[in-house]
This record gives sequence, structure tokens and C-alpha cells, in this order.
Amino acid sequence: MSSQAAVLVAPRRRNTAALVWHQVRYEQLSFWRNPQSAFFLFAFPLVFFAILAGVFGNATLATIGGRPVTGLQYYTSTIVAVSVMGACYSQLAITLSQRRQDGILKRLRGTPLPAWVMFAGLLAHCIMVSLVDAVLIVVMGLLYGVPVPTHWAAIIVTLIVGAAAFCALGVAVASLISNAEAAPAVVQFVFFPLVFISGTYFQITSRFLNDLAGVFPVRPFNQALLNPFALDRGFAGHQLLVLAIWGIVGGFVAIRRFRWDPRPE
Amino acid sequence: MDAVVVEDLRKSYGATRAVAGVSFTVRYGEIFSLLGPNGAGKTTVLEILEGYRQADQGKVVVAGFDPADKRTGRQLREQIGLVLQELAVEPHLTVRESVSRNAGYYPNPRDVGEVIGLVGLAGKEKSKVKSLSGGQKRRLDLALGIIGNPRVLFLDEPTTGFDPTARRGAWEVIRELSALGTTILLTTHYMDEAQELADRVAVISAGQIIEEGTPATLGGRDLARARISFTVPAGYSAADLPVGAAVGENGRLVIEADEPTELLHRLTGWALEHGTTLPGLTVDRPSLEDIYLSLTAAQGAAAAEEVPAPRRGMGRRG
Repeated sequence: MSSQAAVLVAPRRRNTAALVWHQVRYEQLSFWRNPQSAFFLFAFPLVFFAILAGVFGNATLATIGGRPVTGLQYYTSTIVAVSVMGACYSQLAITLSQRRQDGILKRLRGTPLPAWVMFAGLLAHCIMVSLVDAVLIVVMGLLYGVPVPTHWAAIIVTLIVGAAAFCALGVAVASLISNAEAAPAVVQFVFFPLVFISGTYFQITSRFLNDLAGVFPVRPFNQALLNPFALDRGFAGHQLLVLAIWGIVGGFVAIRRFRWDPRPE
Repeated sequence: MDAVVVEDLRKSYGATRAVAGVSFTVRYGEIFSLLGPNGAGKTTVLEILEGYRQADQGKVVVAGFDPADKRTGRQLREQIGLVLQELAVEPHLTVRESVSRNAGYYPNPRDVGEVIGLVGLAGKEKSKVKSLSGGQKRRLDLALGIIGNPRVLFLDEPTTGFDPTARRGAWEVIRELSALGTTILLTTHYMDEAQELADRVAVISAGQIIEEGTPATLGGRDLARARISFTVPAGYSAADLPVGAAVGENGRLVIEADEPTELLHRLTGWALEHGTTLPGLTVDRPSLEDIYLSLTAAQGAAAAEEVPAPRRGMGRRG
């Protein structure tokens, strides 16, 4: 009977969609069981938005493309962007390096779960958090009196492209970080300066800084969201392209360099 | 067909040869133990079998698959279970959730409740993993290793750091799994563990198998001479005894014999005749530990000259 070993394997695997759902479900369970991280992911951007909105309100903060933009409109866009980046890039990079360090990734690699299903579970989680954050901030903006945006398709497409690109970058950074203690520092070291020069917290008027920041993914993401939220415009083609290119670069690094083992050869 | 076939396996990390030509087979249904000191190459062998590491050279077949072949990786991992040396469980799920989650990865998993009971965590189903004790987490780790109903189970030093009671418990579980038909390959540096569990043992040292056999016959143990040992009774000297023997360490006499029965009869007869006793009388053969120590000591001395460079940055490798 042992001679059938390899042949006898005609496993009744559950179908792929069910497996992905299974993984998504447990990823969610694991996340919501850790109320601390859940609180920070959702409450932090909201508090930030409330402060900035309170300070700047409906006063004109900037003039973009000849249009006056109020503080509320401006920060609706950039705080949505920064919370998506927090959920996709920072959280993912830190979570993955922590799980690798704890041996959880290696252990998971020993099960038949395909790698892409594990990533699908994480991606679904990041997108869920991004969407919840975006909805919370937009609703809060509406309560403060921000005009209702009209270009919803542009908002949704931009959020999805941005979330995907920053997830890819998060996995890429996790692949390059070797120990989990260093992960938050490295993640912020890359992220914080970019957020500042990209005009997330205050508008940047230096042409040099704007050109520089325009090459990196954060400012294009801000601009692509400012379009529908503040300028009553649709898709920001050029900015979305820059985001997509960063996403592809991140994905490439992630695929080439991702490690499961805390102690590679 | 065999569950595991390893032929002339070789693996180096830089200049250090971790595995230097290892061959063995494990038959289906067997408990096979790789016994050796830390750094002997046990974990490297195991991680090549599990598909974590690529061999430099040699042939490896596990449950009919080549673990290095990425195309059949998923099929292989549906057939095997593993418990690594380092504990790895997610803190925020409950015991039942953890086991259920992994059960969903396999085409033909064991019953979740049954597995929890088997590893002795019944009653803890709803406890958060982070609230478990170290020993309980290890048992959960074992549950995750067997939930997929593996044909071949790899256990890397399954009882390292256990207290004596927990070790007995773990052995019980391993025997039970074996009785249910699981093939088990375990590494250990405890002689008694190999002796208790294994059908066959291979002693590995400095990346090579230096001896293979059943626990009873390893290193010619069954053929070794018996040792009779006792203290010379007060008022007598070694010269008074009916057999020639010299006093060894701590004033004890040690007499080796191929067949101790006749010798014992003479000694005890002499003692009764003189109205005395043979204090602390024991009769034994070299323990598995004696054999193991003599085997690995000889090998270690030879290997020390051969592989001088310590491996850096690798952490603890079996």
C-alpha cells in the first residue's frame, strides 16, 4: 500500500475562492483581537484630521491651479492618503517583519497554503482598513461642511491603485529589513521625510521640493486625491502612472527578495 | 517504497560543511531518530527534507516527492507535518481558532477537537494563545504539525526544555501518533528519548552518520560485555574473592564478562558462605549514552581538525 504514496494523492482541496476567504477571515480575526493596533490604525488619522480641520476650517489654505482650496478640503485628501499609506505600507512592513522574526512566516511556509493566498489575505486586510479610514474621514469632512465630491470613480480608482502600490512597497521594505526591532524605525525613516516634503501636513510652495517629491509616490498620491476632493476634477493620469510604476518596482523587489526564514542561509 | 530516502546528502554554509554525505532511509510506519550533539547537522538535514533549504548535492525523496521541486511543493506539504525547534504560534487567536485555521489549509485534515485532545489541550480551546504557558504553546505547535493528518511527521528536538513530566507526556503523544500510522522522523540530543521512542536510530556527528541501528543494538551494544560491579565487603580484600579482579575507582570492583551468570553464582555463593554481602551489587551493559558518548567523542576529535571555522550568524542549528 505504501507504493501508492505519490499516486494516492488526488486531494479534495477546497476550491481556491474558499481558501482565500478562509485566509481573509482568520487574518481579520487576528487583527480585531488586537484592539491596540486596531485603535491606532483607525483613531490616529481621525484625531489628526479633527485637529487640522479645527485649526484651518473653511479658510482658504492654498490656491491650486487657480482654485482656492479650503483647509478642510486639503486635509480630507491628504489625511485619507496618509491613512492608506499607514495601513498598507507601514503596517504591512512592520507586521511582516515581526511575523518573520517570530518564525510565524517560516511555520506557515511549512503548510500547503500557497504564498499568494497568504498575501491575498493581507492585501484584503489592508484594503479593508484603507476603505474604512477613507470613509470615516470623508464622512467627518462632510460633517464639517466639505462639499460632496462628484468624481467618485476617480476617488475609488485612486484609492485602489494607491493601496496596491503602497502594499507592494510595504512588502518590499519588509524584504529588505533583517530584524523586526529595526522595522518601525526603518519604515518611518523612509516614510516621514517623504510625507513632509509631499505636503501632507502643510502645503509646499518650493518648486524644487515639489519636483523632487513628485518623483516619489507620496505627493502623486496626494495630488491624485486632491483632484476629486478639492478641485472637482477626475483622474490624475500622470500621478496615477507614477504610483503604478512605484507599485511595480515594489512588487518586483518583493518577489525577488522576500524571505520566510528569520535566519536565511 | 520508503517514506524518506536520503542519499549522499551534502550541504555547506560558506566554508563550513554542515552535512557531509548523509544517507539513510525511513520506512513507512517507523519512528526514526537522528541523534547527535548540537551543531551536528540534524536541523540542516531536517530542513532540507522539509523543503526549507536546498541541498548542495545528493538525492532526497519525501513521501514520493523531491522537496526541492517547487512545482510539487504544495502536494508535498499536504503529505507532511512539521514542528520546528523554535516555537511559532500567533498570539491573538484562541487554541481552537489556531488549529481550525491550519486545518483549512489541508485537503484531508484531522478533526480539530480530536487533535486538541490528543495533545492534551482539552478544556483550553477558548484560551487565547498568548495566555498559554510555554509548555502549552509547544503542545499547540505540535497540534498544528499534525492537524493536516500527515503521512510523515518531522519533529525537531520535540522535548528540548521540557520538564520530566512534560517529556513523558510528549512521548506518549508521539507513540500514539505512531500507533495511528504516522511515520515520524525526530531529531534529539537525548539518548533516553531515542531509546524510548525510536525503532531505529542514526547517530550523527559533524555532518556524518557514524552509526545506525536499533536502540538495543547501536554500536554493538547488545554484543558488549556485561559489567558486574560491587564494593568489597568490610573485613575482606580483593584477594579473598573467588575471582580475580582489581579494585577500581571509589573502592568498587568492576568485572567484565561475556556471560555473567556463572560468575555471579560464584560471587554470591562466596558471600553467603562467609555470611557477608556484596554491597551495591549491579550488573549492566554499556548504556546507549555510553555508546553515544564514545562514538561522538571519537568523531568529534577527528572532525575538530577538519572543520575549524565556527558558523557565525546561524544561531542554534541542530
